[in-house]
Amino acid sequence: MDLKFVILILNGLTLAAILFVLGSGLTLAFGLMRVVNLSHGAFYLLGGYIGYSVVKATGNWPLALITGGLSIALLGLIFERFMLTRVRGGDLPETLLTVALAMIIADQALVYWPRNPVTLNVPDYLSPSIELLGITYPGFRFVMMIVSIIIAVSLYLLLYKTKLGAAVRAGVDDRETVDAIGINITVIYTAVFVLSALLGGIAGVLGGSYLQLSPGGDAIILIYSLVVIILGGMGSLGGAVVSSLILGQIVSFGLAYFPQYSYFLIFIPMALVLSIRPQGLFGRKL
Amino acid sequence: MRISRGRFLRVFFRVAFYLLLIALPLYASQYTVTTFIRIIYFGFLSVSTGFLIGQAGMVSLTQAAFFGIAGYGLGLFGYERGIPFPLADILAILLVLIFATVFGLIANRAQKIVFLMITLAFGQVVFAFALQNTTLLHGWAGIRGIRPPTVLGIDFNETANFYWASLAIFSLALFILWRIVKSPFGLMLNGIRESSQRMVALGYPVYWIRVVAFLIAAVYAGIGGLLATYNTGVITPTTMQLSRMIWVLLMVILGGASYFWGPVVGTVVAVWLDVLISQVTERYNTVIGIIFVLIVLFSPTGILGYLDRIRKQNRIPILRKFYDVEKEPEMEKS
Repeated sequence: MDLKFVILILNGLTLAAILFVLGSGLTLAFGLMRVVNLSHGAFYLLGGYIGYSVVKATGNWPLALITGGLSIALLGLIFERFMLTRVRGGDLPETLLTVALAMIIADQALVYWPRNPVTLNVPDYLSPSIELLGITYPGFRFVMMIVSIIIAVSLYLLLYKTKLGAAVRAGVDDRETVDAIGINITVIYTAVFVLSALLGGIAGVLGGSYLQLSPGGDAIILIYSLVVIILGGMGSLGGAVVSSLILGQIVSFGLAYFPQYSYFLIFIPMALVLSIRPQGLFGRKL
Repeated sequence: MRISRGRFLRVFFRVAFYLLLIALPLYASQYTVTTFIRIIYFGFLSVSTGFLIGQAGMVSLTQAAFFGIAGYGLGLFGYERGIPFPLADILAILLVLIFATVFGLIANRAQKIVFLMITLAFGQVVFAFALQNTTLLHGWAGIRGIRPPTVLGIDFNETANFYWASLAIFSLALFILWRIVKSPFGLMLNGIRESSQRMVALGYPVYWIRVVAFLIAAVYAGIGGLLATYNTGVITPTTMQLSRMIWVLLMVILGGASYFWGPVVGTVVAVWLDVLISQVTERYNTVIGIIFVLIVLFSPTGILGYLDRIRKQNRIPILRKFYDVEKEPEMEKS
């Protein structure tokens, strides 16, 4: 196989790792709460920026990953508890609130972080050069894939092997009944939203170490994550895995062969899937 | 039939208000007139978005893209190919209709929040294409140098003339939209907003009604785009950015999405806010975002909804005379 091909496929897998962490958070929140969190891109950006500051101050990348994720989780908690709950059940007000939050975050980020694109520094011990099929590839990208796989497995275990997960899945199907049999659905909503924010923040640190963080980047990331969940089917974890793998390859090969249309290309599978199967590859009919 | 005093006053003040609007270039500064032109073309965009939200319960985030497509159409046909005035504009609107048909046929297979996401993605497709395509649409730079035409000896490069033309087109468009909203078609849309399943059960072709509403809204956004492009002389991808679409959404909610005049009122307020805030602070989006949060949390029916409540409570009796909005059912939650 051509070496260039191998590199492009590996790049695609790295992108897929980021896209999955990003999309899984969004898809979880949507599946249960029917909220499209349009501030997910801003969560990513802010998480990445916080991670950037931590790495700059301490040089400790794992700490950055944790701080970036947890601070966004905290933000998500505050936002969900004090704002989102107040308009629960209204599609439009919920979406608008997340839009407003995204605007505020993106604008405030301009005050505290540089306006030119930045990338998180990754320490050498996390990025050994790894020889694979005759090419040297930065080891850090494998670290990202591993982190992403760990997250995927833990999400699967959480959703399908724990009581909380069972309650979440039941809530997806019928929230009134779940509430009626004595499970506190409000707490579960909060938990899922916080988890989703956490994943957004983590994705930001991962993405910020591979791609660049820049003002306005939140809108592009938001679109990527929306395409992941539209393509995979909203609320489906497996769908997020498959669609991020597909999109990762499309973006990677698109950048190499059609740089003028790289961003445009990701919409083609989406338009195709929507016209044939509007609920997405693995989604259920809403 | 005797006309009651209250009704006479209302008609009188409306006519006076409209005359003041027409006479604007005679007594206001050039800057004010330009701002009103901006209000009109953004008004088209927000009326288009508000019509879908308020009448049909469809939150479409593609409208800014239609606004931009019309502008690019004008740039490509009128400026670069040199096609004369009315023809280039008609071609641009046709281009909008082609896009709207494709998007509308696909997006309307979904409803509510999924519809919102799909239209958001479509809007961004167009934005991305305009941004990355350098051969036809010139990427970031866009198309520059588009000027309004001279028709029947009237030069529309003149701000006042352009303002009058815009005002006339806007008034006519609003009148037509008012007739559409009050027609059986408008009632069908309201029925779909309240319960699309019920409308299906009653035998209405819900899917096609929604597609037609989407096309109507696209044309309105397109006309706004034509006026905007003539006025600024440029069309760039920035016109279709997500933040622009969100700003329009704010206008609609600010005025009151469930009221016919809501988007117009919202646009007037938002454009002036825009002027005021950017004079005071650089953190424009933070302020707008906070206003957005406050409206959604505390006054989801917008300015008109707020006035309506005050009027019903009779707190300021004089408002009853000047302010009379056709009451429409509040938007159904979820």
